[in-house]
Amino acid sequence: MIEDDIYRTSSQFRIWSFTEDSLKQLRATTNTIASERVRAALRRAREARQSAAPSAAGTPTANQSGSEADGKGPGERIIECLTPEEEQELVRYYCEKTVELGETYKPPMPTIVRATAIQYLRRFYLTNSPMTYHPKSIMACALFLATKTDNYYMSLRQFAAGIPGDTTQEDVIAPEFLIMQSLRFTFDVRHPFRGLEGGIMELQAISQGLGQPSPLQPQQTPEDLRRGLSSIPPAPNASSSQSLNDRLARAHHTTREILKSAAQMTDAYFLYTPSQIWLSAFFLADKPLAEFYLDTKIGGPLSSLRTKLLTTLTNCSNLLSAYKPLSTDPEQMKTLRRIAKKLYHCQNPEKANIAGQKRIPAAAMSSGAATAAGTPVAGGGSGESGAESEMERLAKKRKLEGGGSSGTKADDMFGGELVTQRNKQQGPTSHPEAG
Amino acid sequence: MPPQNRILDRGDDDEVCPVCKSSRYLNPDMRFLINPECYHKMCESCVDRIFSGGPANCPVAGCHKTLRKNRFRKQTFEDINVEREVDIRRRVMQILNRREEEFDSKRAWDDFLEQREEIIANLVTGTDVSKTESDLQAYASENVRSIRANQALEAQEATSFQEQQTLEQEQARLRRQAARQEYEDERREILAGREDVISRLASGKPTDAATIAREGQKILLKKSSARRSEEERIRQKQAALRNSDAKKAGAPVATTERAGDTGLIKGLKKIKTPEPEKPYDPFMGMVPNKRDYYTLRDHYPSGYLDPIRQDTRMQAGGYDVREYYSRTLLEAFAGLGCFVDEEVSKRDASTALGLSRPATEGAAMAAVTSSGLNDEKI
Repeated sequence: MIEDDIYRTSSQFRIWSFTEDSLKQLRATTNTIASERVRAALRRAREARQSAAPSAAGTPTANQSGSEADGKGPGERIIECLTPEEEQELVRYYCEKTVELGETYKPPMPTIVRATAIQYLRRFYLTNSPMTYHPKSIMACALFLATKTDNYYMSLRQFAAGIPGDTTQEDVIAPEFLIMQSLRFTFDVRHPFRGLEGGIMELQAISQGLGQPSPLQPQQTPEDLRRGLSSIPPAPNASSSQSLNDRLARAHHTTREILKSAAQMTDAYFLYTPSQIWLSAFFLADKPLAEFYLDTKIGGPLSSLRTKLLTTLTNCSNLLSAYKPLSTDPEQMKTLRRIAKKLYHCQNPEKANIAGQKRIPAAAMSSGAATAAGTPVAGGGSGESGAESEMERLAKKRKLEGGGSSGTKADDMFGGELVTQRNKQQGPTSHPEAG
Repeated sequence: MPPQNRILDRGDDDEVCPVCKSSRYLNPDMRFLINPECYHKMCESCVDRIFSGGPANCPVAGCHKTLRKNRFRKQTFEDINVEREVDIRRRVMQILNRREEEFDSKRAWDDFLEQREEIIANLVTGTDVSKTESDLQAYASENVRSIRANQALEAQEATSFQEQQTLEQEQARLRRQAARQEYEDERREILAGREDVISRLASGKPTDAATIAREGQKILLKKSSARRSEEERIRQKQAALRNSDAKKAGAPVATTERAGDTGLIKGLKKIKTPEPEKPYDPFMGMVPNKRDYYTLRDHYPSGYLDPIRQDTRMQAGGYDVREYYSRTLLEAFAGLGCFVDEEVSKRDASTALGLSRPATEGAAMAAVTSSGLNDEKI
């Protein structure tokens, strides 16, 4: 099928499609690496704290004695990190938050922008852990990035002003490059929304006797199609008296609601293709109608494909129907609060200041803080030793960062390949519909 | 059939015409002729007498072949059997005139040669004559074109060979002439030098004799060495010329004409007629705008799209609602038949073999995906 081949060329299929197992595996790996890093970072921070006191007292070999003391110290307790499932819950919560954030703007952001932002967030947290980067800081930036890639222009000032709380413009764009890197610079998200519009559009044409036969079943006539559409049994949950147009409109609306919520909050985008997603949602909305539509497309000679597709669609609709919105489920909210509390303790302290890591002088400062026994250095503190030492420190910092990132590359799923594997960035696409 | 009277061939003097019984003794100018139809020998006057009035039967008793006068010719070989075999061979070779280039392999060519010899032997010894003849005729009629082409080629080769021969002869003649000329020049120069020395000696003082003689010797030497280098140069040029000629003559003659799918000869190369060039297809066989799941209409009834179709503000910018139709419908079905769980696990397995992942992790992934597949099957 040509359409399938077209989809196979998309980055969503090539990079961001997974099997259930590989998805789970990937999340587990990310979680393990992040937990190790968090533990190491916390240990370093504690060492730094402990050694800070003796160094203030004038011991020259502060660091060594500190580490020895730490090695012997009984105060070492196991830091409890988030499990992959907890991470997933948390990310989902922030996905819902993204929707809410999109609503707060006047006018509210288009669904497609919010959906793109959610997918960015989900993709980002496949290879990054909330323990390393808190979703709260990533979320806003992902939404801002989505306004750009989805051609919904909004100035940064305007955007930052719309965020509740005192979020500055710098806070919003600080993790931008980080996110883009984690997205592997693939900004194209294939949504099921437009596919749904197309399907409904064609069904409406069929209902008016304007249906075109599918290329694989040229024996269909518009009249046959129209008769077939009008003779399908009414949906079990609907009143039988409604007209065909009402029924289509209702199915359209329900499907759209499912796509806006359930499809975004589950792993559907990773596991299924957009057309499968909208058809599954359509199945949930109006099963007889969806079955009729599918039959007009792949009946007859493609029956093997049809049975295979039906299982996939059933799996997908099960996934979609299993979704319960967080706000209506106090049980989930309770677990979420617990996770948030837990995250507070296992947040990676070295990555807390994303804005600081981005710009080199600030980064040099923070690294100086990390390496030079954690003594907090004021903004102009480095000026004392002159410009040369400042330069030296910057170079050192760069080297350190390089070493660190190369270590990261070895661990990260995607880190190492970024240089060699040049993924073509798919530019932002324009949308004729503004829904 | 071979005649039995070849004993009579011996002894030129008392040779007797088997037809009119006149002998050479009486008629010293008598010439004997044969007809390749039956190879019976008879004298010229008999041929004139019997066959001038058109075709007639062979006068030899028991031979009922009809002979024509124009086919009578002089005997080349003394032995009539040899004569006959050469005739047969010539005829067969003319029909089965395949060339080595036309065969797939050396083996096939050798097989062909053997087969040809076998046919000739059959015809000579008279085994299976009718079958062999009919085979040969069938082959000849089927492969008229290739036979003719090969004949033409052969003729061309013969003429070019002849040309080559004459050219070489001409060159040899020129070379000889040049050598002779050279020799003459050299002699003349030596003589002139000698005369010059003598005249100078005659006019000069006696004390200078030794120096003049030495100088004369030196001039001679110089001249001869100059000539030698010149000769060398000319010789090199000629050699180069000869080489290029040889190359030109040795260029392989391309045989393009191939034909004949008769069962007689095996191992012939397949005729390769080059495919006629197709018109350039920029999409490599893909039909643009061809879709498998749906057929696009020009217009879809829709409450909120129809106003756009009429809206000049929309259309002024070049926007066409059909773009929207095609895009939405494409997205409605793009990837419908992509089964991510299958295709991605296959892809993971293949990348796990590659270098992009660390080995252990790749193995783990492969194990996971394969176990996942097994689960699905169960």
